[in-house]
Amino acid sequence: MAAAVQPKNSTRLLKRPRRARQSGHTLLLVGPYFIALLLVGALPAVYALIQSFISPLGGGFAGLLNYQTVLTNFRFIASFGNVGLLLLVWLPMMVVGVVGLALLIDAARGRFGKFMLFIYYLPGALAGMTNFMLWLLILDPNVSPIRFLWNATGQTSIDGILASPMHVVWVLAAMLFYQGAGSWLLIIYGGLNSVSDEVIEAARIDGCSAWQMAWRVKLPIIAPWIGYLVLMNFAYGFQIFLEPQVLATAAQGILSPQWSPNQLSYTYAYEVGNTGAAAALSVILLVITLALGVLIITKTGMLERS
Amino acid sequence: MTTDTAAQDAAMPTQPATPQSRAIKEGKFGKVIRTIVMSVVAIAFLYPILALLLAPTRTEHSMSLGGIAVGSLSNVQFAWAQIVGFDNGMFLQWFSNTLIMVVGGAVLAIILSIPSGYAMARLRFSGRNALIFATLLLMVMPNTVLTIPLFLEVSAVHLLNSFWPLILIFGFYPFGVYLSFIHFKTALPMELVEAGRMDGLSESGIFFRIAVPLARQAVALVGFFGFVAGWTNFFLPYVLLPQTQSSTLAVGLLQMISSSQLINPEEGLNVQLYMPELALAAVVTMLPVMAIFIAAQRYLQRGAMVGAVKG
Repeated sequence: MAAAVQPKNSTRLLKRPRRARQSGHTLLLVGPYFIALLLVGALPAVYALIQSFISPLGGGFAGLLNYQTVLTNFRFIASFGNVGLLLLVWLPMMVVGVVGLALLIDAARGRFGKFMLFIYYLPGALAGMTNFMLWLLILDPNVSPIRFLWNATGQTSIDGILASPMHVVWVLAAMLFYQGAGSWLLIIYGGLNSVSDEVIEAARIDGCSAWQMAWRVKLPIIAPWIGYLVLMNFAYGFQIFLEPQVLATAAQGILSPQWSPNQLSYTYAYEVGNTGAAAALSVILLVITLALGVLIITKTGMLERS
Repeated sequence: MTTDTAAQDAAMPTQPATPQSRAIKEGKFGKVIRTIVMSVVAIAFLYPILALLLAPTRTEHSMSLGGIAVGSLSNVQFAWAQIVGFDNGMFLQWFSNTLIMVVGGAVLAIILSIPSGYAMARLRFSGRNALIFATLLLMVMPNTVLTIPLFLEVSAVHLLNSFWPLILIFGFYPFGVYLSFIHFKTALPMELVEAGRMDGLSESGIFFRIAVPLARQAVALVGFFGFVAGWTNFFLPYVLLPQTQSSTLAVGLLQMISSSQLINPEEGLNVQLYMPELALAAVVTMLPVMAIFIAAQRYLQRGAMVGAVKG
């Protein structure tokens, strides 16, 4: 940035010889990261792409056979249906819940608001398995801290609670919301903080009420952050693995072990040992995620800022 | 964000910002409702955490009464003895495995992220834009999408159950690179870099002698976030470390749950694993992360806002 302040011709004079001297140093600074990027980011994707065209039986070129195996598996459509339903429940929950709480905190400035922000952030520390354990405790009517609620609704076992597929979706959405709301709250709240004081002041002078301020002034300004939240969580949600996988362990025989696409991919790779099909499904997921990723970094203005 | 606000501040130096300037006139009624709603949500968020934290102090019988209650320390000791007794102290083995891999990964993440973030922020080189694009792309993609491809790759080179692939994978941390990139772009005064050049320092000399000593905050952030990301990762160790002895805490916890009497009443375990014991295992599993969350709260919150990328 400061380079732009310098007169143009002087940078040009300096640039060429410096660039030649720089290349060695640049390599030293960026090289190791670049190698890691190739090994961990690029190579597995390329390897999966190659494997997806290799026959699981003979080892020769298989054409689109592996893709056909995956696409015609009845669990394939079902697993996308499951995560689709989950996203339909969970994303609105995230948008309404997180944006609502952020607006409340923003309106209640001062100590109380800051303290509340900290409390809402705490469940994020229980990521992954510990969050699951917490939910196992909640969902087991025999030991649950909300036992009275389960009793009132006539639930006596975790299997009973998860018996309906729609209940599974609600439980997963609640687990994801509880775990993820806090850090997204910080992001949205950060966005609200960037609304300039002058805008707030102007709206106030125009006689804006607190409610109108939130709905007509703040919300439109933070719309891009909300878009970022939706896209990032969309990409995350349809990749879900841990939660349905461990829920299936806890409620055996109730949940399909191939509830989500990633679980299906895991089954191919691990239990069936069909490398080709696992690779093909990975490639399908990768293509969708890459498209979402490009959408996120181009549409939310992430690249321009960099 | 930093640059924007700085620009705004510079543009309006005469206008003093009063703390009350953003407060909006609203009825008392609105304020009461708001406070009640926020408090109810806070209780709903805290109640389950409290229930989980207190569960190890209770007996199985006390748990069956539901609600939350404070038990005794001797129950915690009993529960801990059960956890350590499970599979001859396997829990401690998992703890040390996790520590080795996650600390190794976090250190590697710092070593890889800080210099590359600096180079991308401050140097001009061919392929720079492509590298930034790739870093952003890998940052926004959930890492689960690469897990099965990584499994295929690692098993092709016969390195399943080895710690090295996990350390390398945890060490490759695009978000850390991005944090470092933003840090050097916004928080490193260009005058210092120029002064270093005048004094005849090479580009890597400037990095090591000037940029790194001023980047303590970025190093801490990358380390914290890298540690938390590795510690809570489940899918990767689940597929790359199939052997019980080389497993991590997160995966081991699932194994404890599935072999507990809670799920499998028939299985003849040498220890009792019911809700209090499993809750204790889950809490101990998360202790390092909770400690970081609370101790480095300010740091992490700032970092998460940078992560919002809404610069």
